[in-house]
Amino acid sequence: MTELIAQQLLNGLTQGMAYALVALGLTMIFGVLHVINFAHGEFYMLGGLAAVLGVTTAGLPYALAIALAVVTVSIVAWLVDRIAVAPVLDTRDGPATVLLTTFAVSLLIHQAVLQSWGPAPGRIDGLPGAISFGSIVLGYQRLLVLVAGIALLAGIEFVLRRMAIGRKVRAIAQSAYAAQVVGIDIITVRRVTFIAAAALAGLTGALLVPVTLFSPAMGQHVIINAFVIVVIGGMGSPIGAVVCGLLLGVLEALASTVVPQEIGTAIIYALLLAALLVRPQGLFGSVRT
Amino acid sequence: MMRSGIALILAAAVVLPLALSGNAYYSGLAAYAAILGLFGLSVNLTVGYLGYISFGHAAFYGLGAYAAGLLVTKRGFNFWLALLLAPLPAAALGALVGFASARVGGAYFAIATLTTAEILRLVAANWMDMTRGPLGLLVQRPRVAAIESFGLVFHQYYLAICLLVLALSLEIVRRLIKSPVGRSWATIRESSALAESLGMPAVRQRVVNIALSGALAGLAGALFVPRTLVLTPELFSPTLSATGLLIAILGGKATLFGPLLGGLTFALLPEVLRFIDEYRIAIFALVLLLVVRLQPSGLVAFIPRLRGDVVKAPAFPAGDPALQFRPAETLSATGLTRRFGGLTAVEDISLAIAPRELVGIIGPNGAGKTTCLSLLSGFLSPSEGAVTFGGVTISDGAPHAAARSGLIRTFQQTAVTPRNSVYENVLAATYNRQPEHVWACLIQNAAYRKREAQRAAQAMACIALVGLRHRADDLAGSLPYGELKMLSIAAALAANPRLLLLDEPAAGLNHTEANQLSVLLRKLRDLGLTVGVIDHNLRMMMALCDRIIVLDRGRLLASGSAAEVRANPAVIKAYLGPGWNKGDAHALS
Repeated sequence: MTELIAQQLLNGLTQGMAYALVALGLTMIFGVLHVINFAHGEFYMLGGLAAVLGVTTAGLPYALAIALAVVTVSIVAWLVDRIAVAPVLDTRDGPATVLLTTFAVSLLIHQAVLQSWGPAPGRIDGLPGAISFGSIVLGYQRLLVLVAGIALLAGIEFVLRRMAIGRKVRAIAQSAYAAQVVGIDIITVRRVTFIAAAALAGLTGALLVPVTLFSPAMGQHVIINAFVIVVIGGMGSPIGAVVCGLLLGVLEALASTVVPQEIGTAIIYALLLAALLVRPQGLFGSVRT
Repeated sequence: MMRSGIALILAAAVVLPLALSGNAYYSGLAAYAAILGLFGLSVNLTVGYLGYISFGHAAFYGLGAYAAGLLVTKRGFNFWLALLLAPLPAAALGALVGFASARVGGAYFAIATLTTAEILRLVAANWMDMTRGPLGLLVQRPRVAAIESFGLVFHQYYLAICLLVLALSLEIVRRLIKSPVGRSWATIRESSALAESLGMPAVRQRVVNIALSGALAGLAGALFVPRTLVLTPELFSPTLSATGLLIAILGGKATLFGPLLGGLTFALLPEVLRFIDEYRIAIFALVLLLVVRLQPSGLVAFIPRLRGDVVKAPAFPAGDPALQFRPAETLSATGLTRRFGGLTAVEDISLAIAPRELVGIIGPNGAGKTTCLSLLSGFLSPSEGAVTFGGVTISDGAPHAAARSGLIRTFQQTAVTPRNSVYENVLAATYNRQPEHVWACLIQNAAYRKREAQRAAQAMACIALVGLRHRADDLAGSLPYGELKMLSIAAALAANPRLLLLDEPAAGLNHTEANQLSVLLRKLRDLGLTVGVIDHNLRMMMALCDRIIVLDRGRLLASGSAAEVRANPAVIKAYLGPGWNKGDAHALS
């Protein structure tokens, strides 16, 4: 039993790292653009698809397939920003409108993949091999997810704290108006944030497909979990996204040993409503309306 | 126009079932269009009138359908009785989701509805004993022998009932949006701070709106039961939620009849274009994107008559507007301190404003004037100290509670509802005179109609008092800056103040306008209103105010008549800096 729990803990951490990275992108977009990007989960799914196609159809090595995923998702995100986000952001009811347009975009991407790829899952092999501690096994691909995840988080922290673009991002997150007054080009910073967050989601998808299989529905699954994470962690709070993302992955994995998967999912969603009722600003957030 | 539209649907409820007597297919389609229209009407309440996007209205729709279905199959209820009860759980769910998200904002509502619908879908799919899961709950066709004895068949009276329910729901929404409650939604949608300052409880009114929207969606879901007869977890599907959203947006946001156009479109299109079925969701998404980008006002834009009634200002009463103000109490603050993190914006301020006084609060930039006003009006809670109005503590209540007791403030950055007329803006602000219960707004008895007439008269009197007679029917967004400032004062007056706190009313006004403002404020004082003014325009303030309070760096520096303040060395020093000469003091006059 202890081995099972330890094994599930390890598996949960891998999945949780994916949630953390997707939720981090979502919360960064919220912090800078003050909108919810409903299509964020589809970027994750597209990253996975690009990696699968890169390996199976194009015959690329896995490392190159990951690069392909990042490039593909960045291009799609640039297009989405041009069509559905940037032009409506500063209009009346901008945030509500972006919610609608990105919702439409998420449906379009999902349907396009369903129509061309079909509903079937896809699989590729990542890094072969595993280390084992007694009966507990940690595949090298899972290890890669964890190591890459930590490296990415450290990298993002470095960019936000030490680099000019990171300082601009933080300035805009505090006050777009004041940032504009001191001459920060908020249009560009918004676009860079949006594309970078999407690329992060795509990269995460590419890292995860060897572990979890690719499915066209994986984007819809991850986006709702990411919503749960950012609401509980506090909208716009990077720490909250990472902590709650990891927690959610672990919780989901542990719950799967006790209750059927769908019940576990329902319980996690109910957590979101409970969190809103008890502490609407989230664990790590301050109220922002 | 809105009334005749509803009458038209009532007429259709009689004529259509007879005209389509031999044609169950078309009559079923018409019933489905009515159900989708009702669903769209419900989504439009939150999306259009509240500005809250919903991604999970199927939660309410499905809950209504399952509630009716379960009452019939498990409890042996008559379906038509169950139809009346089905909206109740949906309304309760709406209140719950609304309360969970309305305190933090629209994005949370979108997420909360989405997850609620998913939770219910998962429950319906897995609670086999109750719902039979994906196999579906089977419901008998609820035939009524008494009606059939008149020679009517089921599809005929089913259509008639669907149209009747639709007409009734339209009438409910029509009455509400023209009531103080509905008018408050427009203000809350624009700015909850503005709404709170005028005495509208923003969270509570949002919850009322969302609960009503949930009830209507539940009603639509229950009405759908006789058409489908098999209830599956798909009733909670995201596709259905998206359909509802699209019906409201395609039809026309915040219009009464837009959702009907949308509902009709969505009932007919899949029938006409059967070949698109495979691409249905993709096409929905594309249409949504196109409507939002190219024609945000939706289909009603092409049929202007369906957009709804324009609220016209009534005629002005002859003669001078009669406005009377309730006698004020003393507003007093003791030991008021407010810190923001490490910054102390206001420190240990004690002051009082007596009834019928016209008090000015001045001070250099950063003196803490606006923070002080926000503390006095209940918009900020003090870190230390308390504010009382007539002995009642207001500092720890919600802002609307302060407004309710007669303490009304305005904002430095003028807040109005720009897409509504001047009259509509001021009329909405009369909410605070006597808050109406939702039921009163729905029933609209003689006493209510009399109060509505009084509110209209009061609104007109306030408009006349600030000199905007000629602008009553113009859109607030089209007013020049000076008139906009006057409009915000008119709205504050309409909210029945006993003490009015104005935050920089003269900022940005030219000389003539500032003079008009002075005349108006003196007139208000003569009418019995107590007024507190913050402003930078020293010349105006010195001439205008009975008493002047000077703040500097968060502290109370001086208080007294204009002459006393002007001669106070500490005040001169605060304004002119340490190196001042006696001769420079005229700068303060």
